[in-house]
Amino acid sequence: MKKIVVLALVLVFGYMLIGCAQRKVVQPQSSVTPEEMRAKASERPEQRVPEEKITEQQIAKIETREGEMLTYAEEKSIFEDIHFDFDKYDIRPDAKPILKSIADWLMKNKSADLLIEGHCDERGTNEYNLALGDRRAKAAKDSLIALGIPSGRINIISYGEEKPLCTEQTEECWQKNRRAHFVALMGKSK
Amino acid sequence: MTESKERKLKINIVRMVLITLCTMLFAACYAVVEAKIYIDITSPALKKLPIAIYDFGGISGKELSNIVKDDLEFTGLFTYIDRAAYIEGPSQPFNPSNWTPLGVEMVVKGTVKEGKELTLPVSLFDVLEAKEIFKKEYKAGKELVRPLGHAIANDIYKALTGEAGIFRSRIAFVAEGSGMKDIYIMDWDGKRITKLGLKENLILAPHWSRNVDSLIYSAERNRQWGIYLVNFSNRVVKKVFSSKGTNIAGDLSSDGNEFIFSSSKDGSQDLYIMSLRNNTINKLTSSQSIEVSPTISPDNKYIAFVSDRGGSPQIYTMRRDGSDIRRITFEGSYNTSPNWSPRGDKIIFSGRRGTNQICIVNPDGTGLIQLTMQGNNEDPSFSPDGRFITFTSDRDGVKGIYIMRANGEAQKKITPKKMKAFYPRWSAK
Repeated sequence: MKKIVVLALVLVFGYMLIGCAQRKVVQPQSSVTPEEMRAKASERPEQRVPEEKITEQQIAKIETREGEMLTYAEEKSIFEDIHFDFDKYDIRPDAKPILKSIADWLMKNKSADLLIEGHCDERGTNEYNLALGDRRAKAAKDSLIALGIPSGRINIISYGEEKPLCTEQTEECWQKNRRAHFVALMGKSK
Repeated sequence: MTESKERKLKINIVRMVLITLCTMLFAACYAVVEAKIYIDITSPALKKLPIAIYDFGGISGKELSNIVKDDLEFTGLFTYIDRAAYIEGPSQPFNPSNWTPLGVEMVVKGTVKEGKELTLPVSLFDVLEAKEIFKKEYKAGKELVRPLGHAIANDIYKALTGEAGIFRSRIAFVAEGSGMKDIYIMDWDGKRITKLGLKENLILAPHWSRNVDSLIYSAERNRQWGIYLVNFSNRVVKKVFSSKGTNIAGDLSSDGNEFIFSSSKDGSQDLYIMSLRNNTINKLTSSQSIEVSPTISPDNKYIAFVSDRGGSPQIYTMRRDGSDIRRITFEGSYNTSPNWSPRGDKIIFSGRRGTNQICIVNPDGTGLIQLTMQGNNEDPSFSPDGRFITFTSDRDGVKGIYIMRANGEAQKKITPKKMKAFYPRWSAK
């Protein structure tokens, strides 16, 4: 019994080995004449070197863009700025009289609208500062709404740290930049 | 007797089996040798590979070989052996015995032919194995010397590390000229700075499309922050999104069909995803806090962003549908500007440590390391292979663009000394 199993195994392995060996022998014989072999050998070094042509996508200058026209005339510097603490957007007590005077002016000048710009100091990072400036402008807007100004008359925009008033690296300067700035918008042309 | 015969047979079988196995093993070994990796970048105990790079001759040859040298050296994986030490003449055949005394392990040879265009056959030789392991002939117009040099460096890097090189990638950034802001594009090494000509008042960080032919950015026009897509192969600037409030573009998805952004259009600054195909907008977060600066993971499944929901700005991650929000930064009270590595395994951000510093952390919040020390360092962005970082720094007085390795080594400024430049973003390839 054992013998038969062993014999069978020998036959199987033997066949596998012969099979492998035969396949190896068969390959080079396959229909290539010596002339062709020589021709191929002489071609090969040329063929084998890969080539690459270096190209580059052109960066074209943008010369035109869609226009977005201004809809208001600005009248600047009528109002004082209000200021904020670092990384904060709540209205400080010293801002309240300024907001009151702005509300009074808007009550008297019914044809004018208001733009509130939110600004930050340079110490934070730009994108978060834009969000913070948005909050500061919104806090000022909410105070004016509470003082009776319709929300439709107040536009806001955040400039983050993109438009500093003062560029020195001192706390005095940073405080000047952490501000909401008010711009009267005259002659609405909707 | 029969027993001894049986034993012989058994021994024979064992022999045959062994021979078969050896043959198979040999074949397997041979296959491995063919894809040999000469530098294992993932190894922590990496030994720099000493490499010799010949001057390729002619007017542009020196510049070309210097580009290859500078590219390879910046990776920190190679030690360049100076040309003055070479014994072998540039036209002599490669002979390993000329190199072993110098400790050189790899040799790059090539001679540029300058006709109508540049033709440059380049060979890379392995000294230890005494054979040529890479050969290619390059052709390029004369104005493309730098891209040609970078293409050669890419191929050598690929042949030795098995990874694609990033030396033809680019960095987009924003700078100011005569009062107007514009987007500029430069090579990753700071050369060939090109201005797009957008002429905007204010521009925020641009974000690359995956196929590197367009950028999405935010700009302020007429007191509104809009999101614009500029395609610089067909010169078109298209408004993608605009509304009242603060709208800030984030990453484009890897298929280029969507982008994420933050907007205060509904009052509070929240995160949204918008399809560029059908302009549908999905809101991802709804909270009273600030959510800003989203960045998408390379598998498109997660988003890292900044939120002040815990009282100070910190980095959070969530699934792309807005679920499973987790805070990942706990050190410091001001961590912003996250950027997800193209490998997926790291997030870089700017953390306030007295001044703003670039930090790196695992997406689960472990393994925090501070990479910069001097000045204010902001807006970090990974290279396409995740091995390098570009960022803004004011350490020498003027805000400019810097690059460094992802472990903080080799920090250097790449924009001109006096140019005020910020918001660098490394291209996706």
